[in-house]
Amino acid sequence: MLHPQLPWFLAGPALGLCVVACRLLLNGRLGITGGYSEIIAKLRAGSLSFDWRGWLLIGVVLGALGFALASGGPDFHGYGWLTRSLTGSGRILVAPILLLAGVLIGFGAKLAGGCTSGNGLSGSAMLSRASLVATATFFATAIVVSFLTRAIA
Amino acid sequence: MSTRLAGLLIGACFGLVLSWSGMTSPDVIREALLFQNAYLFLFFASAVLTASAGLWILRRMRVRSLLTGERIDWPPTPLRRRHITGSLLFGLGWGVADACPGPIATQLGQGIWWGLWTLAGVTVGVLLFLRRGEPDSEPARERAAPPITA
Repeated sequence: MLHPQLPWFLAGPALGLCVVACRLLLNGRLGITGGYSEIIAKLRAGSLSFDWRGWLLIGVVLGALGFALASGGPDFHGYGWLTRSLTGSGRILVAPILLLAGVLIGFGAKLAGGCTSGNGLSGSAMLSRASLVATATFFATAIVVSFLTRAIA
Repeated sequence: MSTRLAGLLIGACFGLVLSWSGMTSPDVIREALLFQNAYLFLFFASAVLTASAGLWILRRMRVRSLLTGERIDWPPTPLRRRHITGSLLFGLGWGVADACPGPIATQLGQGIWWGLWTLAGVTVGVLLFLRRGEPDSEPARERAAPPITA
């Protein structure tokens, strides 16, 4: 089944209010990558006492789980252009490509001090010059990569 | 309310909205990046505008944080080369996988098991950064001048 997409003029402000709530309650910058690194750093140190950033990420997973339970599971199969382009014996490449993309996402976001949420959403809303430049850079890069992969795939 | 519970609740709202707006699907992201669908840009821009207005009011009205008691404010982050190099790498990965860290987490919650590969990669990438031994680039409490250079 296809889930109805929440209209952007409701979804966007609702997402923005999460950033405001994070500031109002915690005086914190909402960033999902911060949650990954908090959990990974604590686990590496043999600890489970995550700070609010770790719990923020756990909340995202639970929110998505709640949505899946309420709406009846995922509404698509396969994985986008990768499983459409890589069929037959080429399918074996999908996993390593996603793994490598993940490494770039994780390392790049930490180096840049934020991902689409930390720099793109929260940092841009804070009118941080560093975040605005980071946001323009990753959007432009992802757009170029998408057109390049469409040309070759 | 503890700061951890607050984080959990905000995260749950964030994850619900991301899922409901379709960001879990790599095709929704890709259609936006190929300029075939304006939804993501309208969604993102209205989120930034709303957040920007809310944050401006909180800072302007000198509101105190409900759980930490400190006055709501944040230090400026000077632009460094790492913001650009990091975002180039991040954008490359995002454009290939059509998922960024939020949607990777919602894929996990919604049972999109391909996302486990991306998640494993993100874990390796974050570990590579942590191994450099630099201060966290996204601390739980913002510092005045991030000491990371380059």
